[in-house]
Amino acid sequence: MTADGLGGSTEAEAGLVFSCRGASVELPHQHGARHVLDDISLELRRGEILTIVGPSGTGKTTLLRLLGGLTPATRGAVRVNGALIDGPPAGVIIVFQDYSHALLQWRTVGRNVAFGLEGRLPRGEIEERVRDALRLVRLEAHSDDYPWQLSGGMQQRVQIARALALRPAVLLMDEPFAALDAMTKATLQDELLQVREQTGSSVVFVTHDIEEAVYLGDRVAVITGVPGRIKRTVTVDLPKPREQLVTRQLPKFLELRYLLHQAIGHGGHA
Amino acid sequence: MTGPTLTTRVAKQLRVVRASLPPARGLLPLILLLGIWQLVQSGPSPYFPAPSQWWTATGNLLNREHLVAAFGATTLTFLKGLALAIVFGTLLGVLIGVSKLAARALDPVLEFMRAIPPPVTVPVAALLIGYNGIMKLTVIVLAALWPILLNTTSAVRQIDPLLIDVARSFRLSTTERIRRIILPAVVPALLIGIRIAIPLAIVITLLVEMLTSLPGVGAIMIRSQRNFQSSEVYALLVLVGLFGFVVNDLFAVIEGVIMRRWPPRR
Amino acid sequence: MRELERLLARINWLGLGTIALAFALWEISLRAGFAQYQNLPTPSAIAIGLVEIMSNGQLLADTSHTLLSVLVGWLAAVAIGVVLGLMLGASPMLRRYSLASIEVLRPMPGIAFAPVALLLFGFSLQMELMVIILPALWPVLIATMGAVMGVHARLFEVGRTFRLSRGEILRKIMLPAALPGVLVGARLSMTLALVLAVVAEMVGNPAGLGYAVVREQQAMRPELVFAYVAAIGALGMILNAALTGAVNLLFPAASGRLREVGA
Repeated sequence: MTADGLGGSTEAEAGLVFSCRGASVELPHQHGARHVLDDISLELRRGEILTIVGPSGTGKTTLLRLLGGLTPATRGAVRVNGALIDGPPAGVIIVFQDYSHALLQWRTVGRNVAFGLEGRLPRGEIEERVRDALRLVRLEAHSDDYPWQLSGGMQQRVQIARALALRPAVLLMDEPFAALDAMTKATLQDELLQVREQTGSSVVFVTHDIEEAVYLGDRVAVITGVPGRIKRTVTVDLPKPREQLVTRQLPKFLELRYLLHQAIGHGGHA
Repeated sequence: MTGPTLTTRVAKQLRVVRASLPPARGLLPLILLLGIWQLVQSGPSPYFPAPSQWWTATGNLLNREHLVAAFGATTLTFLKGLALAIVFGTLLGVLIGVSKLAARALDPVLEFMRAIPPPVTVPVAALLIGYNGIMKLTVIVLAALWPILLNTTSAVRQIDPLLIDVARSFRLSTTERIRRIILPAVVPALLIGIRIAIPLAIVITLLVEMLTSLPGVGAIMIRSQRNFQSSEVYALLVLVGLFGFVVNDLFAVIEGVIMRRWPPRR
Repeated sequence: MRELERLLARINWLGLGTIALAFALWEISLRAGFAQYQNLPTPSAIAIGLVEIMSNGQLLADTSHTLLSVLVGWLAAVAIGVVLGLMLGASPMLRRYSLASIEVLRPMPGIAFAPVALLLFGFSLQMELMVIILPALWPVLIATMGAVMGVHARLFEVGRTFRLSRGEILRKIMLPAALPGVLVGARLSMTLALVLAVVAEMVGNPAGLGYAVVREQQAMRPELVFAYVAAIGALGMILNAALTGAVNLLFPAASGRLREVGA
């Protein structure tokens, strides 16, 4: 299963899926506007996982919504495959943190996963894609269950399957595992890595968990401050495939972790 | 007791209630409706008299039918019935909530009585008691009883068992336990029950007056209708509506004053 | 055998016993002359009365009239209430310009419309419908409006990230999400509709169960009065059960969620 792409300009040819230049976001507030993000410049390369990490309140979610076309940029430009975005771009799907509110609780798992495809593909193909997506997240057996009958981790996997059914070029994930316990989180992290291997989708993964950011990411961007700014971006040159126990003990892992903690402002260094 | 006086508290609640009312521009549809009506039909008519006619009719009613006295009679009966319903409803509600035995014994009877719509009790009461003030009161009490009783029962059943343990460890007597723990726990739900009971009580009061012509606004409404006094009928509709609105808001103020001690709801 | 035991254990013997005892006391005290209520019939007389009105078709005639009135009125109230509720729920501007009017109209006692309805329609089914529809639409309107406003913002964002059209978002997200709330409002409205129909029949239109109660009361046939009261209570319970059953049948997903929430 490969990801669809959209043809385009030199940026697309250069393998850049997302390119964000000097974007700022101001949101309406009680007494005037609130400056949430300032001068954000980042790129997402084809097939990579870019993790964005930072403390709460720095606008991580707003950044994701900016990339996802839910929130417009007040200044600057956001491009997908070279084209300026205007609303949610095709081939880009957001996976939200609160799965119970993001899933359609009145539809079965199977119908939830089919949600984005209805009316756009013939029925037979929809069924096939739903089956493939559920197989990727290992939930084929639960196609006829209702979301409220499943555990939190399973519901989140349903949401991911729903996104995957569209074979998106980009998955934008907003702290998707934050509401889950540590063991489920670890399982899903590995599942996500596998999914990326099999589908070739690019992923922007927002989290406040530094270790998760290093474990999952090919590159990590640190966002800090109010308004939020990208402090630095680090390349994660850890071996693949990543493994929960082994990778997290590597010296390189610990070094990166330390670096990021510093960048965020822990550890007493400027 | 120190703290704001009763007057201050009432004033504050009035302000709270007024603030919680929806924006006044929402009255536009009503005003438009009345305005267009007045334009289309500016005089008397057997079916759709102009709003200006309602105003004149009110004047007639005030004089001829002693409207104020009628409203007074209706209000008084309604309040008496409500008061009795509160007393009985609370007592029975607490009893049923506290005693599983009483609950099991009375449940089917109560379910049965609950299924009977209150208006239907009026002819039955008329049959058994006759056309008098006692019958009127009985019917109102029966109608208003259920929401109060049900809410009280469920509130008693939901009392945190921890509080009962606290009562026991402090060795409170049964009366003290009822006074200090059960009743305060019951008050918020009781107020909700009363809030639901008020419109019911008003409807039943009017119904009895309509069916029996016992003194009150309902009797006047039926009389005007029988005499085909259309403007009076509409005028009374508006007045009764205002009455309902005012009663409900007054109760909201009272509720707010009483509930000051409780943690804010929602 | 076990099944029988379990079934027997679930029956509320104490409650049934209390009822049986109450009925027995009622019958005995009247027959033996302990209590002398001029117009209070014995339970046996009521039972005989019930058989009488069932066999001469009177009960059927009266019940069908009231049933028709209730169903038509309720359906109209639901239709109007849902449409208005959807519009108000979806548009803050509409709300700003109409909530105050609703707050003023809502506390109007349904019965206050009876004289107006009599004026406009005389003794007729339309008179009953006017008394039913106006008050019965409020619970539906308010519940629908609340349900629409309560649809979680996230669901709409899901619609947007999947690039659904506005019509699709309405159809596939808002309506199903609001459905449980709407159904609760519809159920409240049904109970109200029955009460209003009976009131309209008692005060106005001489037909149906409400009128029957008044008719038999004036004819001094107390056992029939009680019989009709029981019939009205039974109709209420049947309507409620039928509605719940229909909801379960038509909207299994919604009723699943309702049961989960404990509604």
